[in-house]
Formats: sequence, structure tokens, C-alpha cells
Amino acid sequence: MIEAVLIFLGLAILFGLLLGYASIRFKVEGNPMAEQIDKILPQTQCGQCGFPGCKPYAEALANGETEVNLCIPGGNEVMIKISEITGLEPKEMDEAAAEAKPKETAYINEDLCIGCVLCIKECPVDAILGATKLMHTVIQQECTGCEKCVPVCPVDCIEMLPENVTPKNWKWPEPVVVEKASK
Amino acid sequence: MSLLRPVIEKIAKIYPMAKRYLHAFHGGVFPQYNKELSANQPVREQIIPTKLILPLQQQVGLPAEVLVKVGESVKKNQLLAQSPKDPKKALVVPVHAPTSGVIRAIEPATLAHPSGLQDMAIILEPDGKNTTIDNALKVSKQTIETPDQLKDILFHAGIIGMGGAGFPTYAKIPSRPGQIHTLLINGAECEPFITCDDLLMQTHAYEIVQGALITANALGSSKIICGIESNKPTAIKAMTNAAKDTIVEIKVVESVYPMGGQKQLTLELTGIEMPHKVHAVDIGLLMMNVATFAAIYRAVMFGEPLTSRMVTVSGLGLNKPFNTIAMIGTPFSELAQAAEPKTKLNYPLIMGGPMMGVKVKSNDVPISKTTNCVLANPPEPVDMQMPCIRCGQCMDACPVNLLPQQMYFYAQAHEYDKVEKLNVADCIECGCCSFVCPSHIPLVQYYRHSKSEIREIHAEQKAVDLAKERHEFKMARIEREKAEREARLKAKKEAVKKQASAPKDPTTETKKPSKGAASAAAVAARAAAAKRAAKAKTEDSPVTEKAIPSARLKAIEAAKKATQQSAQQDFEQGSEKTTDPKVAARNAAMLAAKKRAQAKKAAVSSDESTASENEAMPKKDPKQAAKQAAILAAQKRAKAKAASSGTGSETKPDPKKSAQQTAQQTAQQTAQQTAQQTAQQTAQQTPEEATMQTAETTIVDLTVATPETDASRKEAARKATKEAAKLAAKKRADEARAAKQQAQIEAQALAEQTGDIDPIKAKREKAMQAARERAALRKAQKNQNSDDPEST
Amino acid sequence: MIQPTSSPFAHNNQSVRKVMMQVQLAAFPALLTHIYLFGFGIVVQWLLAVATMLVVEYIMLKLRGRPVLPFMTDMSALITITGLVFCIPPEAPWWIIVSGSAFALIFGKHLYGGLGYNPFNPAMLGYAFLLISFPVQMTQWTLPVDLSGHALNFIQSAHYIFTGQVPGISMDALTGATPLNEVRNGLSQGISATDIVTQTVKEETFGLTSWGWVNVAFMVGGLWMIYSRAISWQFPVGFLGSLALISFIFNQYDPTLYPPASFMLFTGGTMLAAFFIITDPVTASTTPKGKFIYACGIGVLVYVIRQWGAFPDGIAFAIILMNIAVPLIDQYTQPRVFGHQR
Repeated sequence: MIEAVLIFLGLAILFGLLLGYASIRFKVEGNPMAEQIDKILPQTQCGQCGFPGCKPYAEALANGETEVNLCIPGGNEVMIKISEITGLEPKEMDEAAAEAKPKETAYINEDLCIGCVLCIKECPVDAILGATKLMHTVIQQECTGCEKCVPVCPVDCIEMLPENVTPKNWKWPEPVVVEKASK
Repeated sequence: MSLLRPVIEKIAKIYPMAKRYLHAFHGGVFPQYNKELSANQPVREQIIPTKLILPLQQQVGLPAEVLVKVGESVKKNQLLAQSPKDPKKALVVPVHAPTSGVIRAIEPATLAHPSGLQDMAIILEPDGKNTTIDNALKVSKQTIETPDQLKDILFHAGIIGMGGAGFPTYAKIPSRPGQIHTLLINGAECEPFITCDDLLMQTHAYEIVQGALITANALGSSKIICGIESNKPTAIKAMTNAAKDTIVEIKVVESVYPMGGQKQLTLELTGIEMPHKVHAVDIGLLMMNVATFAAIYRAVMFGEPLTSRMVTVSGLGLNKPFNTIAMIGTPFSELAQAAEPKTKLNYPLIMGGPMMGVKVKSNDVPISKTTNCVLANPPEPVDMQMPCIRCGQCMDACPVNLLPQQMYFYAQAHEYDKVEKLNVADCIECGCCSFVCPSHIPLVQYYRHSKSEIREIHAEQKAVDLAKERHEFKMARIEREKAEREARLKAKKEAVKKQASAPKDPTTETKKPSKGAASAAAVAARAAAAKRAAKAKTEDSPVTEKAIPSARLKAIEAAKKATQQSAQQDFEQGSEKTTDPKVAARNAAMLAAKKRAQAKKAAVSSDESTASENEAMPKKDPKQAAKQAAILAAQKRAKAKAASSGTGSETKPDPKKSAQQTAQQTAQQTAQQTAQQTAQQTAQQTPEEATMQTAETTIVDLTVATPETDASRKEAARKATKEAAKLAAKKRADEARAAKQQAQIEAQALAEQTGDIDPIKAKREKAMQAARERAALRKAQKNQNSDDPEST
Repeated sequence: MIQPTSSPFAHNNQSVRKVMMQVQLAAFPALLTHIYLFGFGIVVQWLLAVATMLVVEYIMLKLRGRPVLPFMTDMSALITITGLVFCIPPEAPWWIIVSGSAFALIFGKHLYGGLGYNPFNPAMLGYAFLLISFPVQMTQWTLPVDLSGHALNFIQSAHYIFTGQVPGISMDALTGATPLNEVRNGLSQGISATDIVTQTVKEETFGLTSWGWVNVAFMVGGLWMIYSRAISWQFPVGFLGSLALISFIFNQYDPTLYPPASFMLFTGGTMLAAFFIITDPVTASTTPKGKFIYACGIGVLVYVIRQWGAFPDGIAFAIILMNIAVPLIDQYTQPRVFGHQR
């Protein structure tokens, strides 16, 4: 009887020591979870989640301060991935986010632009080229479609348009399942 | 293998699948070839169609730029379009006229592409005369010794891979002689129905062989092997005859689909299995279609660019299938009509063969340089798609030894990363798997879709990484600018402190800190007041203000307050100490400096853009500044007009609100103007003077009068005279500018009166007016909504 | 008219229905041999099974909301019940085959998603269910005609199957143990295997017992299927080869305890399994090497269960166990892609 107690006590002490050593020796600096989450976020820096960018949202998630279903450009897939990483329950996305929109980019109507640089300051990825009192234009390659520039323009000259389909970027459609034999 | 061959051939008679052991690559299928439909017909004479459609964008490369005009008469072989980019740095394919005629139009036309999209094309109307420019490429009959010489001719001839891919041949050939040790000629033609290569070999065997020899000579290759399928006996004979006494070796290969695939034929002819992701030229092999070699021969020997090719017009829906040397740009429908279709062509034609062909969206698409067949197969009933029974027939048939089944499962589940891991990139899209599937699953279509999706996923990932980088850079840039600004301000403060503690009155020294503190407090108080005023404004009409960001508002308010304060102070200061002229001058100078400082502070307290504006402005010359002033004046006028018309056009004329609006607008305008003008004024100075002024003005206290001593008086006098001089100079400059402005304004007014306004400016003003109206409407609605608690 | 969205626009003549028909036809010689040697019981059972199949398939397809006619006529369920019918004693009561078929089709196929989605072989699942639930009925095999001396015609068989008796004939005379069962019983009693085998050899016609002849008939059908490419050759070769090898090794080691390979190959449901059951493509491995390993695994397991397991014929459990291992086998036997190192 006494041996059993001693053995278990000894095991408990041994494993406790091992765990303590491991927690000190293998301690990871910083919060790797935030990095992991940031990697899977779409990086549009649109702010629709309520945070000023993707990295702050990732950090808030890592600290467990916020919900998993706030990223609208990421959609359902990103929400599931976040819930996997953080271990939180997957949550339903909002109705508005549920539909998948085709990628739209911003286009500045150059006739209306007055060169006020407000959109340039707003763009989180510096995708608008221009300077004060000079013509502004959106570098299409860099635009992420976050739509932050649209409301700040005083002359309302920015609109979001879907990408042009050319033979170069045309995609093969998914095959249709033939439900019934045709005669 | 050669010993077993007759045994296997015997077995194959009773067990057809044993034929799979007769060729080197795995799998393969044996479809119904139906080649006799067109193979036994003679080659027909060239058909001159009613119109030729020549797309500017070829399969691969930059779109060509048109060099001719609509209505121009062109001759055969004339260069019609070419991209001006350097062919060494980009892929450039020129377009030549296949026959003489008139350019009818340059407009979008449907491409022979699976998407059915339209792209710019030259529409040429042949005149039937076929006037030719001989030796359009201006070749001399010299032998080609180096690859670069050959590349030059190939580029100008517009020769691209005519086997189907359409990669520009001049870019495919390496520049280093001797890099290619074996030249491979692809005469396999494994697809059902197609016989164009077969007949080309029968009729132009000499050209093909000579073309190969020319290429081998230029590249320094020591071996040439030509692979021809065993179901083309006449072609084999013709080529063997033409290759007699040359280094060209004719090898007969098994008739199996897809023998004509590059990797499969390479394995068959040379025994070399090409590693994945490696180009053939990197391992010393170069394979080209027989038609390409024939084209090379014609280009090198006769200077003829690529303007026509052998095309098979065949199918179960045609009565008289045939082969012909068709002009590039001939519409499909005309060729199909020439073959006497059995029924009306109300079904889409297929470009290519039934295994890898493309259903064209419109039957009028043109023949391109890579089109080898126009297939008219009436649509057949399609069997229902059953679930996959995992039988493995697809795996047995795949020439690349992939696992089509697994790829299908993952592609259906949209798990494209797993499909990529299963090497879908190696899939040659031959269609063998779909051909054998008992469940009639369109396997190859899933892989095509998966490939596009995977490509898009990679591109998106790259874009996301880049966006993240840019965002982080932007954050860093803003941090850096903030730090720089703070450093500058700090330096300014240090400089000010130093100046203050420089040779001056010890009494004033003690007073300076308190004065500085007091002045700083005053400034802070002003700023706070401005903020409060701005906030009050925003509560009133948040929507209008959103259009103008709060920072600017702050500036406006601050400027307003500044003008009010300066007026007050003028009054205050003016009441005291008016007797001493020197003091008066000094006071005047101080007041002017104060005004400037306040305005400058207002400008600086807003975001750095206005600061950058100010910094940017001195770089411009005064003429531009004057123009800007004129523009501002015009804008002011427009705004006034808009304000008056705006109030009139409001749907719900609320007198209080409209009055408020107009008051706001006028206040804004005046504030803006003064702010801008003062900003301009300060900008006119050099930055040093500005700093000096601010330094000076920070010293000056507004409410506490300085007790005077002799030294201080002398100092003050000195400063006053300097200030007076400066003021005078400025006044002169101002007057000059004002005069110029006046002139501009008058000119502007004149222009306006004569109705010669810049349409862009008018549009802009209209847009601004529209924006303002919208804003007003929104504000009205919002107020309405906030009034009505039930509306959401 | 729905056309393929893109190439290929040609197809060979294969279809699921064709493959299943080929398998069904290949089972025909065995069916005839069975009737000849064991009476008409099997026909009654088969008809019962078809009736069950029609009812069950219809109900399940309707419940799952799938199109009824195409899926009912794809013949895959027919293969399942044919396989099951061959596994049970021909004179088993009617509710055996009905419950077995129903279980096989519902739990073995439809609940997993229908054709192509089930992980376990449905026939073997039904057979295992019957073996475990009704062991007595499943081991009461009818003796071959030459042993029992009675050839039950169709009506008598039907009567027996539905009522459990045949007027005029006692049941004990009709039923008996299969050779495999005899071997098991004999070994447990201490009789040496060679003796048992020579004993059974006495009841041979043309060198093989009746059960042996049925197996031969299956083999003939199976060879035809390999020729017509309805099944892959790796399955029978792997299975029979490994079974023969392992029984040969053990027989050489101790002939008194382990029956010879020839005995093993031609008794019980060996050939049926080799050509008809394990070749079910849906539940078997898909890669060429994987198919071979899968079949060898089944062979080894069959021998193990027959020799040391609780059941006389271990085909059902061996197959189900290997079905579980199929995804693992598939993962590690992927073929070398053209142009890649491995």
C-alpha cells in the first residue's frame, strides 16, 4: 500500500519537474498564434472587422479578445481556419459576408479628380499614385479591393469595378454534372 | 522488347489491350481513328474566302500593333501588324497578309479560344488577285550557320509552333550553337480524324526534310529523328525517300493516342524521359512539328512568312471531307461549307481533334497558325454521369501515370492544394482518362478547372503577401514621417530656446520662459477652442462635414479663430502704446508676425498634407501660384453660385437649415480663402524666414507688455526696422502679385463671359456641386430620420 | 442537349452497366454448376434476393432523393446479391437471404452514399451479419446430390425454404457440413488433416468434390472477366497466389495439421472471392501495386482465420479487415509519375 503511494508520488514529482523544465527551456517568445493567424488573413487591410488592419485583428484573436467571424473578405474559409488555430468555436458569418463577390478594384475617374490626396492617405497599401494637385490613379495590380478610398473622395470619383476578363486570365469553368442522359 | 514484339502483336489480335505493351510510355488508348475519311482524298486547291480575320493577339506573346490603316490595299506577305517591343526581351509575333486585298476593318472578332471572348482583329477582304511580294523577308540564299541568324528569320516570318501550342519558334531555339544535339520531328499525328500532317508529309516531304536540315545546321545538331505513326504508310514512304542520304532518320512508332505528345514521343524516339518542369531545350532536345519545319524551309529559302497551313476539314457531319492549304484567317464556316455538310451547321464546330479539340463559340472564327483541323461532328447524346466506381481504368490509361481518380475526388471537393500535390501540373490534358471512364465522368475538364484555380490561388497568395508588405511599409513610413516631424519640431524648439538664451536681456530671459509658457498656453487654448467649435459643427451636420475631413475643418476653424483673435488683438494692442512711433512700428510688425504665426500654426496643426502643400508650394513659381489663386477665386465664385442655386434646389426648403448652410458655406469659403492666402503668403517666404518668424512670434507675448529698458528698446528698434524693411518688401511683392491676380481674374471673367470655360473645370465644378447637393440631401434625410424615431 | 463543356468529345463503349453485366454473365457458369450439383435451392434464393433488392433499392433511393431508374438499373446491387446468394446454404430459410440482402444493401451501400462511396464490401458485410447473427442456419449446408442421394427439384426447394420442411424427406439426410467444416471438426477431434482430406477425396467426381467443381466454374468465369477487362488481374493472382503459398509452406511444415494448398484453393468460397468479391472496385485498393498488396493481405488473412479462427470460412472477415486498410495502402503505393524521380 505504502509502496503504491510512494511510487505514484514519485511519478508525479518526476513528471512535474519535467513539465516545469520544458516550460522554461522551450518557451516561445511572443505570440506565435498571432503570426499564424496573420498569415491566413487576406491582408486587404480594409478594416471591416473593426480593427485597423489585419495584424491588429490577428493579435486580438490571439489574445482571445474578439470573435472569429469578423473577417469579411476572408469569408467562411478563413473563419474556419481561425477557429482551428485559436481553438474557438466556428461562428456563422454575417449574411452580408456570406456571398462571394468577384474581385473588384478601384478606378479613379480622372476627369473628376481634384488632386486632394485624401484617397492616397487612406489607402492601406499605397496603391494610389499621385500627389497634391496632380492626377491620382490606382495601380490596379496593387489594389486589394478594400474600398477604404471610396468614401473619402470629396468628388466621389472612385468606383469599384470587377476585373476585365481577357483570354489571358480566363478560367475554365467547373464541369457541370450531367444529371440525366440526353437523348 | 523487340523479341516480344511479334508475340505481343499476336496476342493483341485477341486481347487488344496488350497493345499497350508495344510502346514505351504507360497507358494510352485506341480510339476510332476515322482518318480514312480525309486521308484518301486529294489535297484541294487553296480556297480564297470572302474575308480573312487576323487576330492581333496570337496564342502566345504580346498583342501586335497594327501598321496599316482601314481601307489600305495590301499585298500578300505584307507585314500588317507587329509589336514594337524588343523581341529579345518579350515574345513578339508579327502578322502578315495571307493574300492581297483591302483592309476592311480593325475591330473585335470572336477568337477561336474556349472562352469565346472577342479581341481586336484585322478584317481583310481578298481581291482574288493574290498579288504577292516575293521574298518579303529579304533573305539571301546563304546558308545559315548560327542560331541567331535563324532566329532572326524565324522572328520576321512569324513562325510559331504549328503543332498546337503556338510558342514563337524564334524564342524556343537557344542562341548557343551545339546546345541541341538531337532534333526531333513530330510526324506522329495521333488524334482521330486529323490527317493534315499525313498529307503534308506525302506532298511536301522534301520541304520538311530540308527545313530540318537547315535547322540542324544552324543549331549544330548531330542527329535528326522523325517519328511517324504506323497508320500512315504512304507518308512513311515519302519521307523515307526524301530523307535518303541525309542524316534524317525515319522511325515508325506505334499508333496509339497520345503518341504525338512531346514527352511521350521523346521517350519513344530517344528513350529519354524528360524530367518534369524541364524544357526539352535544356536537355539538348528540340522537337517541332513537320509543318513548322516546312514553314522554316519556305522562310529561309524563299523569304515567305507564315501565311497558310495544311488544314483537315473532316467529321461525321460532312459529305466530302478534305485537306487543303488554307490561308491563316479563313473562317471555319467557309471551309466547312466547302466540304458539303450533311445537315445545316447549327452545331458548334470543333477546332482540333475530338480528344483535345476546342468547341468554338461561333462558327466564323478564323484559322490560326496552330489550327490543324476543322471538325464537324454532330452532337451525340451524352450518357448520365454516374459516381466514380474506382475501377482504375483511368489510371491504367494515363500516359503520365497520374492518379486521375484521386485528383477527381479532391477537385470535386475543391481541395485544390491536394490536387496540386498529386501533380496535376504534369497532366497533358490528353483526355485518355475521360475517354475510358465507365461512369462517364468528365475527368479532364475537372483538371483544367483545377489548374486555373491553382494558378489563381498562387497569384492571390502572392498578391496578399505583397499587399502585406506594402501595408507594413506604409505603416513604417508614417511612423518615420511622424518621428521626423517631431524631431524637426524639437529642433525648432531647441533653436528657439537657444536664440532666446542668446545675447539678450537677462530680465527678458527670466520673462521668456513664462512668456513662452503663456504663449504656449494661449496657443493651446486657441486650439482647444477650435476643436470644440469643430465638434459643435460636426454635431450639427455630420454628413456634410464627413465630406471634408475633420483635420481640414480644424484648420478652417483655427484660421477663423485666428482672424477673429488677430482683429481683437489689433484692437487691444492698438489701444495701448500708440504714441511711440518706433513702438508702434514694432507693434505693427509684431501683429503681422503674430497673424502669420497663428495662420501657420493652424496650417501645421492639421495633417502633414497641408504642410507638404505649403512646402511644395514654394517650389512652384509665382505664376502657378497666381493661377492657383485665380482658380480659387473662380471656385469661390462657383461655390457662391452653387450655394445660391443649391439653396434654391433643395426639395425640402427648411429656412433655418438653408440659412445655416449658406452661412456655413460662406464662412467656410472665407476661412478657406484666408487660410489659403495666408498659407500662400507664408509659403512665399523661404523656410528659414518662416522659422525665424515663428521663433520670433513665440517670444512675443500677446497679453503681457514687456517693461522696457534701454537695451531692450535698442534691440526692439533694430528688430522693428528690420521688420519694417521686410514688410515694405513684402508689400511691394504683394502688390505686384495682386496686380497679376487681378489681371488673371479679369481674364478669367472675360473668358467666362465669352463662354470659353474649360470643360473639365466645369465638369469638376458640376461634380462638386452634385456632391454637395448629395451631401445636403443625405443630411436632410438623416435629420429626418433622427427626427422620426420609428424609421430605421 | 447537354454536351461536354470541353474535350474530349469521344468516348469508348464502356459504361457501369456494361461492366456489371459482364460480371453477372461470368457468374452464370457457376450458377449452372451449382444447380446441377446442389439442386434448385439456389434459384429460389436468388429470386428472393432479387425481390428484396428491388424493394430495398427503391425505398432507399426514394428516401435519399436520388433518381430511381438509372441507379436501380446499373446492376451493381445485382452483383451484391448474387455474391451473397452463393455464400449462404442453398436450403437456408427464406428470411436468411432477405435479411442478409437488406442489410447488405442498406448498411453496406446506401447509408454510405450509394454506388461508389461505401468503404466495405456490401456482400461480405451482409454475409458477416448473417454469420454472426444466425450461426446455426449458416452452417447447415445442403449436401451435394451425389452424397445425399436426393435431388430436390424447384418446388421442393421452395417448399423447404419457406416452410422448413420437405414432405417425405428427412432433413438430416439432406444437410451436412462443408469440407472446411469437416476439417475444423476433425482437427479439433485430433484426426490428422491428411486423413480428413483423403476422406473427402472419396466423395469426388472427376477428381474434385462438388464444391470443388463450383469453384472451377467460378474460375472459368473469372478468367473470362480478366480477358474482357471487367476486373483487374492483380486481385485473383495476388489472392490465390498468397493463399497457395502460405498453405503450401504450412503444409510442408506439418501435413498432419495443415491441409494442402490444392484443398485450400478449391473449397469454400475461395474462387468466388478471388474473382467476384474482392474485385469489387469500389471497396478495393485503386493503385496497381496496392491492388496486389490488398489481395495478398486477404489471402493471408483467409488462411489465418480458416486455420486458427473461429469460423470455417474466413472470407467475409478477411475482406472486411482489408477494406479497412485500403486508404493506407493507397497512400503508400502511389505510382511513379512520368518525369518524377519516384
